[in-house]
Amino acid sequence: MDIKQVFRTLSEASGVSGCEAELAQHIQEACPWADELRTDKLGNLIMLKKGQSPGPRPKVMLAAHMDEIGLIVTKIEEDGFLRFSTIGGFDQRVLLAQEVVVHGKQKLTGVIGAKPPHIQTQGEQRKAVKMEDLFIDIGLDSAEQAGQVVQVGDLVTIKRGVSDLQGSFMAGKAFDDRAGVAAILECFKALSTITHTADVYGVATVQEEVGLRGAVTSTYGITPDIGIAIDVGFGDSAGLPDTGTIKLSQGPGIGIGPHVHPKLLERMVETAQEWNISYSLDPTPNPGGTDAYAIQVARAGAATILLSIPLRYMHTPVETLDYQDIQRTGRLMALFIAGLDHEFVEGLTCF
Amino acid sequence: MKEIIAQLTEAFGPSGYETEVTDMIKGMVEGYADEVRTDVLGNLIVVKNGSPEGKKVMFAAHTDEIGVVVTHIDDKGFLRFANIGGVGVATLVGNRVRFANGTIGVIYQEKGDWKELTLDKLYIDIGAESKDEALTKVRVGEFGIFHREFADLGNRLIAKSMDDRIGCAVLIEALKKIDKPTNTLYFVFTTQEEVGLRGARTAAFGLDPDLGIALDVTLTGDMPEARRMDVSLGKGAAIKVKDSSLIAHPKVKELLVQLCETNGIPYQMEVLEFGGTDAGAIHLTKAGVPSGTISIPTRYVHSPSEMVDIRDVQACIDLVVAVSNQDLTGVF
Repeated sequence: MDIKQVFRTLSEASGVSGCEAELAQHIQEACPWADELRTDKLGNLIMLKKGQSPGPRPKVMLAAHMDEIGLIVTKIEEDGFLRFSTIGGFDQRVLLAQEVVVHGKQKLTGVIGAKPPHIQTQGEQRKAVKMEDLFIDIGLDSAEQAGQVVQVGDLVTIKRGVSDLQGSFMAGKAFDDRAGVAAILECFKALSTITHTADVYGVATVQEEVGLRGAVTSTYGITPDIGIAIDVGFGDSAGLPDTGTIKLSQGPGIGIGPHVHPKLLERMVETAQEWNISYSLDPTPNPGGTDAYAIQVARAGAATILLSIPLRYMHTPVETLDYQDIQRTGRLMALFIAGLDHEFVEGLTCF
Repeated sequence: MKEIIAQLTEAFGPSGYETEVTDMIKGMVEGYADEVRTDVLGNLIVVKNGSPEGKKVMFAAHTDEIGVVVTHIDDKGFLRFANIGGVGVATLVGNRVRFANGTIGVIYQEKGDWKELTLDKLYIDIGAESKDEALTKVRVGEFGIFHREFADLGNRLIAKSMDDRIGCAVLIEALKKIDKPTNTLYFVFTTQEEVGLRGARTAAFGLDPDLGIALDVTLTGDMPEARRMDVSLGKGAAIKVKDSSLIAHPKVKELLVQLCETNGIPYQMEVLEFGGTDAGAIHLTKAGVPSGTISIPTRYVHSPSEMVDIRDVQACIDLVVAVSNQDLTGVF
């Protein structure tokens, strides 16, 4: 299984928060290493790879979200143009002149139109266009025609293929957080050749972009001892300060903060050093933003850690990363899991 | 039905103090339910048993309303207050407040610019001439509601706390029409929705339903120069696609659309850019509950004069009845 190719497919597939079924199907087909596959009531895909020790075995949950930010149709205008709002935190400055797919009765290509620069006033040229002034043109020129194929509430995704940049760099949409999903697949693949004690639950979660919702319910169902959230982190790029960013091509950022269990942090860093896997330390004092938080506080609590794959231009259609960072993240997780035993996991409860 | 709506909307029930409303509903559903109970947070749970192969369906409408809480009483007997739930400052000046013991007061503002009006520049005057006199009527920590009577305009009705007593009325009227439902139904009249979906959260944990549906108001965009929103009064039940608290489960959304289509119930699709409902709490319960919301289109939400259309209310009732009798085997 060529996971890099799978990653391309996942990036180009459509799965706005709340409608991730197409993604779950692709991921399921790309994971021959799992012993069990199931989806739960909210649509989380749960891939279980059992440990090789007599039970009860420790449970490790890997969580990466498969949903992407998107748009939703709010009104069909008399002249057939579609008004829209966002699902998740889109950077509205980049929406102008994008090609989109409207998921109506069938998939319809559309464009987000813009007023030509020739007839903009001077004031307009200096300002970003507000979302309420934007519209999608699907090439139908009346509400009646458009209403045959589109209705209020239909979802819209950006139409964007993956581009290979120089070296192992790639650019595309929804790398946040299908990069994390690819890292889970890399981890499962690596684990297929390593002995491990723990049961590993790889979860492609739903609805992270609207409030960590899939992680809340999937964690309740799994009740893990250890939770590893894999998400994207702010990669270094021109114009961004060194602080608060992680460098591309230097492996995952290992989170430090209230959502990271100190013993997991220590063990993760030791594992990276022992196996010579590059990593960055990534202080993230605010714990609210990733699935790690949802896992940490479910039921009676779980020991959690966050791995961040460095990503540039987050929440735009040209998110950029180094594929080798995904491979490094997968390998680091596999070796971390291989090193777990009952004694270590029991020790986590003695904070 | 208008009589029930009038009684419910004129009742006193700020978040946390909903007993007057839940007691009233208890009386209204008497004789129609198989079981009526309350839980620790005050949620009223009305059970209607279905067939053994039916699913567990939870319907939720909240009984609480937005209001105020007294934070300070000054030497001259004027009250300062904080909000309970999402209270819009612009709706307050000149409006009246009522406390649990019947004390009435008027809200007014200090001198200053309208544009810079904030809650801390407002006070309540209960007609007391001194702090001591005020203390005979209210205390710090006392909860109040907006005092406003129900009005019948024909097809359209206005009242305070249509949000969400109209949802309660829908469930009560639906219950009366249901004889032997396919599914076991839990009509939950929830508490503390306006302060964070609190009652629904615990009620859903206790019931662990197969399907969750909230009944609540939604905004409309059919007034002069209104914010863009493709929901109108009189165009039927609104089936929610999303709000801030929930993305409706695709199967729930499809079920509601299909039931409207097959039963000839007028409906409209709703995308709400702000706000949430009890379904936001229900769907994240335990390992997850497929959930959606049936919304009653309402103008002027969170003002003392919220307006609904009785034909939309009827459509919502019909839709609840349709869900109750639908065979959901293999769907949820």
